[in-house]
Formats: sequence, C-alpha cells, structure tokens
Amino acid sequence: MRALLRWVRADLRAHRGQAALMVLVTAVIAVSLILANALLRDAANPWQRIFLQSRGAHVWIHVRSGADTAPLTRLDGVTGVAGPYSTASADLVRGAEKVSLELRAAGPQLPSVARPLVRSGRWLDPARSDGIVLESSLARAMRADVGGTVTVRARDGATRTMRVLGVADSADQGSYPDWTPGLGWVLPTALDRVEPDPAHIQQAIGLRLRDPGSADFTAQQAVTTLGSGQVTQVTTWQQVRSAMGQDNRLLGLLLGVFGLVALVAAALATAGAAGGRVLAQVRDIAMLKTVGFTPAQVVRLFLYEHTALALAGMALGAGAASLFGPLLPGALGEAMGVWQAEPARAGALAATGAGVVLSIALATALPAWRAGRIPAAPTVRADRPASGISRLARLALLLKLPPALALGSRAAFHRPLRAGLTVARLAIPIMMITVALGSWATLDGFQDHPRQLGLAASLTARPSGIDDAAARRLLTEQPAVAAAYPGAEIPALVPGETTTITLRALGTADHPYPFALAAGHLIRDEDEAVAGQGALNLMHAKVGEWVRVTAGGTPHILHIVGRDIEPDHNGEMLSVDLGALAGPGGTPKAQYYALVLRPGANPTAVRTDLLAASHGRLDVRPVANPAAQLGLVRVVVVGLVGVLTLIGLAELVTATASGLRDHVRDLGVLRAMGLTPRQVTAIIVTSTALLTTAAVLAGTGLGVLLSNRLINMEGQASGVGAGIARMPAPETLLMAGAVAVAVAACVSVVPATRATRARITAALSANRT
Amino acid sequence: MSRSGPDTARVAATPDADHVLPPAEAMLWAQDLVKTHRGAETATHAVRHVDLRVDRGEFVAIMGPSGAGKSTLLHLLGGLDRPDSGRIWLDGQRVDGLSEARWSLLRRRTVGIVFQFFNLVTNMTAADNVELPALLAGMSPRQARARREELFAELDLEDRARSTPAALSGGEQQRVALARALVNEPGLLLADEPTGNLDSRNTRDVLRLLARYHASGQTILLVTHDARVASGADRVISLFDGEIADDTALHAPADGPTTVADVLRLKG
Repeated sequence: MRALLRWVRADLRAHRGQAALMVLVTAVIAVSLILANALLRDAANPWQRIFLQSRGAHVWIHVRSGADTAPLTRLDGVTGVAGPYSTASADLVRGAEKVSLELRAAGPQLPSVARPLVRSGRWLDPARSDGIVLESSLARAMRADVGGTVTVRARDGATRTMRVLGVADSADQGSYPDWTPGLGWVLPTALDRVEPDPAHIQQAIGLRLRDPGSADFTAQQAVTTLGSGQVTQVTTWQQVRSAMGQDNRLLGLLLGVFGLVALVAAALATAGAAGGRVLAQVRDIAMLKTVGFTPAQVVRLFLYEHTALALAGMALGAGAASLFGPLLPGALGEAMGVWQAEPARAGALAATGAGVVLSIALATALPAWRAGRIPAAPTVRADRPASGISRLARLALLLKLPPALALGSRAAFHRPLRAGLTVARLAIPIMMITVALGSWATLDGFQDHPRQLGLAASLTARPSGIDDAAARRLLTEQPAVAAAYPGAEIPALVPGETTTITLRALGTADHPYPFALAAGHLIRDEDEAVAGQGALNLMHAKVGEWVRVTAGGTPHILHIVGRDIEPDHNGEMLSVDLGALAGPGGTPKAQYYALVLRPGANPTAVRTDLLAASHGRLDVRPVANPAAQLGLVRVVVVGLVGVLTLIGLAELVTATASGLRDHVRDLGVLRAMGLTPRQVTAIIVTSTALLTTAAVLAGTGLGVLLSNRLINMEGQASGVGAGIARMPAPETLLMAGAVAVAVAACVSVVPATRATRARITAALSANRT
Repeated sequence: MSRSGPDTARVAATPDADHVLPPAEAMLWAQDLVKTHRGAETATHAVRHVDLRVDRGEFVAIMGPSGAGKSTLLHLLGGLDRPDSGRIWLDGQRVDGLSEARWSLLRRRTVGIVFQFFNLVTNMTAADNVELPALLAGMSPRQARARREELFAELDLEDRARSTPAALSGGEQQRVALARALVNEPGLLLADEPTGNLDSRNTRDVLRLLARYHASGQTILLVTHDARVASGADRVISLFDGEIADDTALHAPADGPTTVADVLRLKG
C-alpha cells in the first residue's frame, strides 16, 4: 500500500496540470449536480412542507351556493373535511394594480383540516370585523404587510378598506401569480358585506383522503354525487403541487440532465485520459512489474489515483457549493439556502458524491485493467501487418493533394477502431453543446418570435369601471396596438375527468385570434376549438375528435380542429371563438382584450400609455413569457458549454498525444525520407483536424436530432406542446464547428512541433509499444 | 563445484524429470527451455532447449551476437516472459508454472534485474525508484530509506537522491538501477546488457561494482555481447541461435573473485 501511494504521489506530481484539470472538471460536475438536487428539492418541498403542517385537503371542490355538500363527507376514503366555506370573488386594488381575489369566509377558530399556517400577524378576530388574512404569496406580490390596509373592490364596484391581520401559508392552491385568483380569509360577516347577493356566493369544500393516490377517483365521485351542474371547479393536490413547483423543477431537471450528461462526458474523458496515460507509461508499468508489482496492484494504482482525483474534485465542488451556493443570485441562491438547512442534505450529498466517484472509478476500470495486462518485459512485438493506405488517403493522392494532407488523412484513419473511438469521444461533448445551443435558440424563439410560440398578444387589458365600447375605443386609439381580441376565460369541467381546464374564448368569427398552431387548422366555426397539449392530455383527446365540456353550467360540444402551443396554464387550455359561448342573451361580454402590438412596439411603454389614457380604468398587464422566467437557463447553458468545452479539450489533448505516440516512428521515417519539419507538423495537424471534423459532423448531426426531440419532449411533458423546439441557426452551427476544428488544429500544433524537433534517431529508435 | 554443461543437462531431462529435485547449491536451474516468438507469418526460435545451472555465489555471463536469444533467456529466467516449455527452479523452488502475480511476489525478494536502458520509473525521483521495491517487499519507510541511503553511499549517488531520471547521466541512471535491483538483497541479480548504453568509463565503474557485489557473495547472471564485459565472470556461456554453443569456466571458484583489471590483463 505504501509503495502504491508512493507511486501515485510521484505520478500526480509529474502530471500536475492534467490532475488539476480532472479535479476541476469533477468539481464543476459536483457543483451542478448539487445545485440540481437543491433546486429539485426546493421545487417539491414548499408545498410538501405546508401540506404536511396544515393537514391539507387532497381535493378542493367549488360548488354553487345552494348545493348540499353533506354527502361528500360520507364518501369512501374521506377522513376529514375542510369547510364548506362560503367564497366570493372580488378584486384587491393597490394603486393602479388590481388582482382578482377569492374571499373565503372563515371563523375565528383555525380549522383542523387545511389549516392556514399563520406566518406573521394573527388569525381572524371577531373584534376586528374589517380584518383580512392574506395568503403569503399574494401578500408578497401585493407588498401587503401585517397592520397595513388593502382595498377590496366588490363585484358591484364598491370598495372597502380592510386591515391585514395576518399572512398565512396554505397548501390549498398554488402560489400567486401563477395561480389566480389569490386567496384571502375574512369573517363571514365581512364576506356578506362585500357580496350581499347570495347568488354570487359559492362554497368551497376540501376533502382529506386516506389514500392520496385516489384523489382523482374521489373527485370524480364527488362530481357524480353532486351533479356536474352544481360543481364549478375541482382541484387536486397534484395540480397544486405541480403549479407550486413547476418553474424550479424544470430548472432543476435541466441542471440535473446537464449535470448527468457532463458526468458521462467526464467519465469518458477520464477513460480517455487514463487510457492515454497507460499507453504513455507502458515502459514504466512494465518496470513496476519487474520490481515486484502484481497485475492487481497495477490495476489498483490507476484506480486509486483517479478515485483520489475524483474525491478531491467532489470535496472541492461540495465545499464550493456549500460556501458560495447561498450567495448565488435568484432562485439558485434561495434554493441553496433552504437546502443547507435541510436534514436530508447529508444523505443527498453522500449519494451525489458516491455517484460521481463511482462513475469515474468505473470509467478508469478498463484502462486500469489494460495496464494490469501490460507484460513485464519489454517484449518484442510482431509488427502489425502493414496497413494499406486508407480510402481517404487514396482519394487525397488521386486529387493530387499535398503530401501532408494525404499522409495526414492516412495517419488519422489508418487504425479505424482507434480513430472511431476518438471521434466518438470527441463527438459526445460536441453533441451536447449542440443540444445546449438548441435550448438557447428555443429561448431566443420565445423572445424574438413570440407569435410562433403561442404568445401573439403581449398585453392584456381588462376593463374595470368602463363599458366595453369605451374600452374598445381606448384600445383602437392607441397607435401601437395592432389588434385587440376580445376574450373571456371560464373554468370548464370535462365529463369523466376530475379536473377543470380553462375554456378560453378569444377572437371572433370575423376577427379570429392568431393561435400558434402546431397541428390542424384555426377555428372557423363556433363549434370548433383548438386545444393545448395539456388540455389534450387531460381530455385524452386528439386533434379531430369531438369533446364535451361543461362551462358555467352550460354543456358545450366542441370539435378540436387544431393543437396550439400554450406556454401558460400548463397548456390546459381549450380555446374557442367568443361566439361559441353565446347564450340566449347573445354574445357574452369580453372579460379582457388580448393586445397584439405592432412590430417593434415596447409593451412596457404601451402599458404605461394605456394606463394613463384610461385613468386606471383599464387593467393592463404584460403576458408572462416563459423565456423571462427561464433566463437562468441561459446561465446554465453558458456554464454547460464551458464545462463541455473543457471536457472536449481534455479529450483533444489525449487524442493528439496518443496519435503522436502511434506515429512517432513513422514520422521519424518520413523525416529520414526527406519531409521537412513543417510538412511533418502539417501531417499531425491535418490528422487531428480531420478527426475533429468527423467528430463535429457526427456530433452536430446527432445533437440537432437529439435537441429537437429533447426539447419537444420537455414541451409535451410541461403541457406547452411539441413544436417549440428551434434549431440553432446553420451559421451558428457552422461557426461552432469551425471554431472546434480550429481549436483542435491549434492544440495539436504544440505537441506536433515538439515531435518534429525530436532527433530523427531518437524517433527511429523509439519503443514501438 | 559441478558444472552442468549441455551434455549433463540433457541427461537430467528424462520423462520423469518432474520429480527431479534441483541440486542444493543451485541458485538457478533451468531445463529444456523453449521460447518461440510468433509473428503474423514468421516464427523466431529465440530459445531452443536450453539447460542452465547457476550456483550460489557464481557470476555467469551469457554471450552471443545480437539476435542469439540472450535477452529472451534472461526474461524467461526472471519471470518477465513465459517459456513455451521447460522447467525452472529458483532457489530450490519450481517457478515455471507460477502466475504473473506470484512471479511478481517472488521477484520482490529473490530476483533483481538491471536493463540496458536503465528503465527507471520516469516520474519518480532516484530515491523513490530505489525505495519503491523495498516498500513493496514490506520494509517500513524508515527502513527503506536507511537501506537506500546505504546503497547510495556505496554507489556514490548521495547527492542525486532528489533528481528525476531525466536529470541523471547514463552512468548515474545505471547505478540507481543497480541500487534498485539490490535494495532487497535478492538471491539472484540478472543484468541485461547493463553496460550496453554506457561509455567506457561508466562501463568500467559498473563492472567494478558488479565485481564488488559478487565478491560479497552475490549470485549474478549477466547478458552481454561484449567479451570484455563477460571476462569478469566466473563462467561464460555462449549462446548462438537460441542454443548453448559453449560453456567455459574462466577461473576456478577456489581462486576467489577477480577484478576486471585482472581479466583484461589476462585476455590481453
């Protein structure tokens, strides 16, 4: 063991740079895996934590005021009930800002099921009938503090000032603004004052179940028991959880996937580097055996050395992540802060570390085994049968190319297996860089061509306090607004399904909304609809099928004629023409207008103009662009490209070194035959450049295929729908490929020149192993 | 002391030779060794039916032109390569069937090897190169260091301990290699053209050292194509086309060890 350590120490001292590179790569991979882990946990945890502490309800059902909810408590598997609470819709107003709010009437006693967790201030108090407790994400968004006041505007436009008694966490619904309306609790008397009309009061009841997995089934039973006409909305805990965790989870998954890919690439690079080292040290290894190292000990030498490097990298990465992680800006920093306080952290860290170290040890296993099999004596090896010149070289000769090119192409490919392996190892980082560029291009697509990705409208305007005609006039007078499409959104129940989707009426028959279609055609008739991938998944429907949904108590039978890309609401959107919602009273009133701006118009400026022109009677909001939230992905992409470039460089150094070793004697012969040193250098550079070109072609091709597939898969899983993937521009790919080949050529110049400077006799007498 | 020339050895290679025990005084006893290097289309008969005996304390030189199979024979005897057939006893132990790992264990204590191209481990300092086999053989780092310092003092290498092989001259490298081969006080020292890459002054130094260790009782088997180098041995075996052509004693062992200078004078 002592002898092993002595050798490992000496070897590390001799290859400081290479060792440092390995440690660095491992550390970067460790950091990205730890960050991914923290983000994933953070994504899943806030909801989990709140749900556990508050004994949350697994299913929430909103029903009409008169409905009898008593049968629900007797449903099989229901272990506890929250409510029923009377609820009313209102708006929370703060300056020009206005958000829709669900007011929930609750008593002064906290309930035992789905108990709001008061984070600051206190719960409702009968002595303060104007008190309100706000859900914490809503309070944060409205910058409402305990002790301050908020203005609640009722359906009839009357406003009422209420004092914020407390801020509470709740697992009943997702966080605002991803989940609207926001949630506030008031005393029943206060609710009656805000909404005196019992017809507009609904009831919300939460069911806590013995088996959380049966939430869908129970919800369906509840709808059947009450009759679908009575039920206005159903949500299950899965929906709430996914709504709360989505953003970070996507990011965490991305980081995780990138981290794993980087790990695989690093493992390959380790295998390549270790393999190269074994080849370079054949003499030394033979010598070690001569002085008494057993084959198993030689295997262990390499395993120990690389495992030690991996451990060092892991420790460095874990240390850096722990020390500097919480200092990172944005969601990453927050997630790291939460992660550090978690008791399960040590286990996750140990698992990540074990995974990284094990993969690197595994990657070293093959070269180490080969080292163990190197014979002790520098035996005479029969020369390889002289390989003929490769087809490529023959072609080069046929085309009367300079000798350097012809010989370079022979050098590159005259051992097809080794050349193939080199190309494959180089192609993997290139492939992943292409995927990263594809992600970048997709984000660019969201930003530069939002229309193609379901974001034609960049603003919505909601009239409040002015009539429809006036609102319409205000909008058409604004020069930057190219078109204003009237729209309305109501939750719709899908028969046989437990959850609600959003039925969105947008545009009119003579003025249809430009949905971004991935399949099918636009709405041409009142019974036609286009659906997002999320809605199709929920309804188990395909484009071309007919579906029946109940919205606002009215059944609608709709023909799905197309699938559009829906970046919002998990894609759970079924869109129709406004006329489709027409009842006996004619076409319904527009709840809002979707504003498509003229090219080049700045949404923020237009919003300010509209707010000013309408004196605050138009609630104008920007449409959330997922690209804005995914800004961090760009940082990740840049980081990933950096790591992959590092790995690619490591591969390149190995490839050049082993290529040179293969040819050192041939090069001596060539020089003895009369090739100038410059020509010899050119041969080596050509050979490296050719191998890299092959890797670039293979890597880019596979990368483009994989990138499209991966991004579309991600789109489909998140409900946005396939069809969002954008290819990196051909010139970007060309540029990246050219840079890769140029870098490869440059990297090989140094060892090539060094090899050229070696004395011919030394090259000729070099050991051929 | 009996000599096992080609004729006597063949007698020993009878069908029930497996039950033969080596003579007690033989440090190394090989019978009917055969090794053929096979290429894609050609086969080189490197060693053909060689019988060989080296007694304890003996200094034997194997001579022959290049391609005669000298180095191959040495590799077979040191367990660096495997014979196609034949039997080898080392220090009374049958070793030709040992696994590679067992051979490695055996070499740690019983066989020291010196090569023409020194073959020091390039990444390690001279000191590490010598202490490594000592540590492998189970010495403590302190013991290994003491033993290495002792050898370096003998070989005049004290100020080169921290140097890497690349920073050493050929003669220094070969002395380090010699120290490495001798650090565990092996029963047998195998030397493969130890002076083949040295100038005449360094050659003289190395031979003087070999002679000195032989004088203190070290058994040495040396391969060379240089008659002057071989002349320091007790016995010279000539190898030609893989077969032993001649086996001559230069000095009666009773005469005691001789110096190279004596031999050179003798041979003229």
